Amino acid sequence: MNKLYVPLLAASLTLAGCATPQRGSVPVVDAGAPLSAGGSAVREPQPSSVQSLPQDSGVVVMVPQGGTPAPIQAGAAPLSAPGITPGPITADPTLAGSWGAAAGASAPSGIPSTAGGLAADEQLDGPVLALLTTAQQQQSGGDLNGASVSLERAQRIAPREPQVLYRLAEVRLAQGDPAQAEQLARRGLTYANGRPALQASLWELIAQARDKQGDPAGAAQARQRAQVSS
Amino acid sequence: MTRSRSPRSSRSRSKARSSARPWLGLLLKLSLVGLVVLAGFAVYLDAVVQEKFSGKRWTVPAKVYARPLELFVGQKLTREDFLAELAALGYRRESVSNGPGAVSVNGNTVELHSRGFQFYEGLEPAQRIRVRFSGSYVAGLSQANGAALAVARLEPMLIGGLYPAHHEDRVLIKLDQVPPYLVETLVAVEDREFWNHHGVSLKSIARAVWVNASAGQLRQGGSTLTQQLVKNFYLTGERSLQRKLTEAMMAVLLELHYDKQAILEAYLNEVFLGQDGQRAVHGFGLASQYFFSQPLSELKLHQVALLVGMVKGPTYYNPRRNPERALARRNLVIDLLVEQGVVTVEQAAQAKAQPLAITQRGSLADSSFPAFLDLVKRQLRQDYREEDLTEEGLRIFTSFDPILQVKAEAALSETFKRLGGRKGVEQVEAAMLVSNPETGEVQAMIGSRQPRFAGFNRVLDAVRPIGSLIKPAVYLTALERPSQYTLTSWLADQPFSVKGQDGQVWRPQNYDRQAHGNIFLYQGLANSYNLSTAKLGLELGVPSVLKTLERLGVSREWPAYPSMLLGAGSLSPMEVAGMYQTLANGGFNTPLRAIRSVLTAEGEPLGRYPFQIQQRFDPGAIYLTQAAMQRVMREGTGRSVYSRLPANLNLAGKTGTSNDSRDSWFAGFSQDLLAVVWLGRDDNGKTPLTGATGALQVWTGFMAKADPLPLDMPMPDNVVLAWIDPRTGQGSDPGCPGAVQMPYIRGSEPAPGNPCGIAAPAGAVMDWVKGWLE
Repeated sequence: MNKLYVPLLAASLTLAGCATPQRGSVPVVDAGAPLSAGGSAVREPQPSSVQSLPQDSGVVVMVPQGGTPAPIQAGAAPLSAPGITPGPITADPTLAGSWGAAAGASAPSGIPSTAGGLAADEQLDGPVLALLTTAQQQQSGGDLNGASVSLERAQRIAPREPQVLYRLAEVRLAQGDPAQAEQLARRGLTYANGRPALQASLWELIAQARDKQGDPAGAAQARQRAQVSS
Repeated sequence: MTRSRSPRSSRSRSKARSSARPWLGLLLKLSLVGLVVLAGFAVYLDAVVQEKFSGKRWTVPAKVYARPLELFVGQKLTREDFLAELAALGYRRESVSNGPGAVSVNGNTVELHSRGFQFYEGLEPAQRIRVRFSGSYVAGLSQANGAALAVARLEPMLIGGLYPAHHEDRVLIKLDQVPPYLVETLVAVEDREFWNHHGVSLKSIARAVWVNASAGQLRQGGSTLTQQLVKNFYLTGERSLQRKLTEAMMAVLLELHYDKQAILEAYLNEVFLGQDGQRAVHGFGLASQYFFSQPLSELKLHQVALLVGMVKGPTYYNPRRNPERALARRNLVIDLLVEQGVVTVEQAAQAKAQPLAITQRGSLADSSFPAFLDLVKRQLRQDYREEDLTEEGLRIFTSFDPILQVKAEAALSETFKRLGGRKGVEQVEAAMLVSNPETGEVQAMIGSRQPRFAGFNRVLDAVRPIGSLIKPAVYLTALERPSQYTLTSWLADQPFSVKGQDGQVWRPQNYDRQAHGNIFLYQGLANSYNLSTAKLGLELGVPSVLKTLERLGVSREWPAYPSMLLGAGSLSPMEVAGMYQTLANGGFNTPLRAIRSVLTAEGEPLGRYPFQIQQRFDPGAIYLTQAAMQRVMREGTGRSVYSRLPANLNLAGKTGTSNDSRDSWFAGFSQDLLAVVWLGRDDNGKTPLTGATGALQVWTGFMAKADPLPLDMPMPDNVVLAWIDPRTGQGSDPGCPGAVQMPYIRGSEPAPGNPCGIAAPAGAVMDWVKGWLE
């Protein structure tokens, strides 16, 4: 049963990667482009469209403010400061920049876009695979809390396995917590270097989470990332 | 003494006497009145008996469990730690593991029969498991018959409870869970006629009277088990004839309504069997855990005999306090069983040959891990009503790791022993917290220099100036601005003064009272220089640094005084752990958690405390900050760790010392462990310890025992490594002598250097010329 899970997951990841809508000719997004404005439900709607990308490319972080988290533009200060060295210096470290660069770096390596990532994904350890399988069964049986507990158990065993975080993010999304789903997926991305298929799936999940948080612009940007990664 | 009669028998005798003589008529009338009164009383008692017995008979305090130990191939776990955990769980060593709770050891292979347990998301079955160890890792895991087993977990250790005001505690058991011989022994010792009488036994009373009379002292009571139950369950401890009569009536009424099985089960759960500090140990279920650390169903004949023997006098026969007395009593009980034909002579001889086999202390004693339990209770009281916690038998599952706790306690006591020679150390108190930086789960906690002593919990309540522990926040604020600051930016470490918002002139000083001139940015953190750090903080702006602190998870409203840059603000060790958790976890903040889930007494899921994270920083800036914090350990104020820890173990951390060494701090982490240590005096007096000579020593001792994984944050994509000249910070060719690699945010790294044939001889001057020419 455990082995059955590998192709199953592989297929689902592939599907998730391929299912990303093809939005015409998507340019490889420049490293300085903004990724998102964060995942808070209280965020103000962004007037900017996809065509005119906003210039505040700071890392979007969440700071607790009296219980209702609101996004803070961490990089705002340095960016507004004049005299940023032109040329090679990245205006500011952004999530978008990081992973855009990663996708670019992995592209020339010749790894086929989907199969490359999945090859790495198959190297799951016995216990993690067993717990992911259990979680899958619990989830399909409607026991989202149980699935969540099994996945957190897997996370304690393999805290740096992005597939666990991906699955946990999926469950959070199904539980109606898109903000946490996005955060978990972002954590997964920090561990998903060199696994483009998984990166694409994580971006796609972030896109869904942003849609559910009423952030279509952020979702569209995440979908672009999913394209670049896959 | 016990002339009690049931209402029915009184009536029949009254009738018999009515025909005797006319003057007895008055007596008859009086008797009838008495009878009516008695009948009314009986009706009342009957209601009392039924009401309490049919309802919820006992309130059960919530039970708090440690994390279940997970078993899987590749897990970091030594055989010794594993066996220690099994011992604490009350596993018996046997030559072949046979039945739940048994373990056999053969070299590096341990075979055990786990007990099974109901967890939040399902049942972990009892099963026979074979674990093979290699070095400090689990190398093989299978079922005992060789079948594959990917992962398994032991039942979690009970670490305490939440007791109501009367401190009555019990573990409820059902009659079908009792071990062989328990019922037989109890009946043989306490109430031979139990299966035959109707609540009171005239035969037993007669025998008691005869025994006591012939012995000339009170040797034997005539109370039945039912009467004993009634006495404990319904009545006060008062000793009077009236109470005795009431007791007898209630016993009869109880037998009228309920069968022997139900009464026996109630007795087994009600009986008082010992006192653990303030906690009263009730029932055989809890007594079994308390004295043997084993579930009741696993007890053997000699253990059963001991517990039953204690019913007569739980304090007098307490096997921990009075082992000889308890042993004699146990063997007397076993002899009685032979006498009554319950066991054979051979069985008895075998049982009597066993030692008492009592665990050292109550492993589920409320006082074992007071600091951690305090944290759990505070969290629970936010979310549940007090009655629910003390009465409903909730099961609380926590992240507590007893193996790490024991190592932390050992590191603390060993360090104090080594520091013992220093004057003033005897008044120094301590607090320590260990957590998993990747999950935010608290694993161990020490709230006092005497870790088992419940009292002031310094982890949560000692709010003290954090000193240099704040510095990573200053450098992180800088490193978030890669166009302005890199790890090799130059900082001036020289004296200055500034007029603060509070009007005071602030003149920071280095710990060694020296200025260190021009230094690389990372060196200011590594060596904990105050001058350069304060200067940098002022450049960045105090509010910016405070904002960074807030994003790290510190929610204090500190005034933006310059002195805040050197840690004038106070935090508890718990808050410090929250702050460093964000640094350790790639810039993702996780509220520290101690509780995983809550189940009802019936095993139904009730509440969960799910894993939650929030990205607060760019991973690149965190990567650079971690790099600087690793320099603290390699070359800075924390470098003494590598005299005791292997050189290939990457660690990051920061020392902290407040003014006049009143507080000695260390906070640091590996890949999988974060620990914060505070040493200081409760009266805020001076200590002979700095962060490095005090808290760091405890931290190092703990890490040496815990054998952590080396810190290894994946390099974010916006970070590049560049070769630089270690003196100039300019780009260097990898082949140049002394060239080192340093991480930079992409684009902020120095231009690559030329091969050394050209640049090396002239050094800095040539670099300058080169830069000018370009």
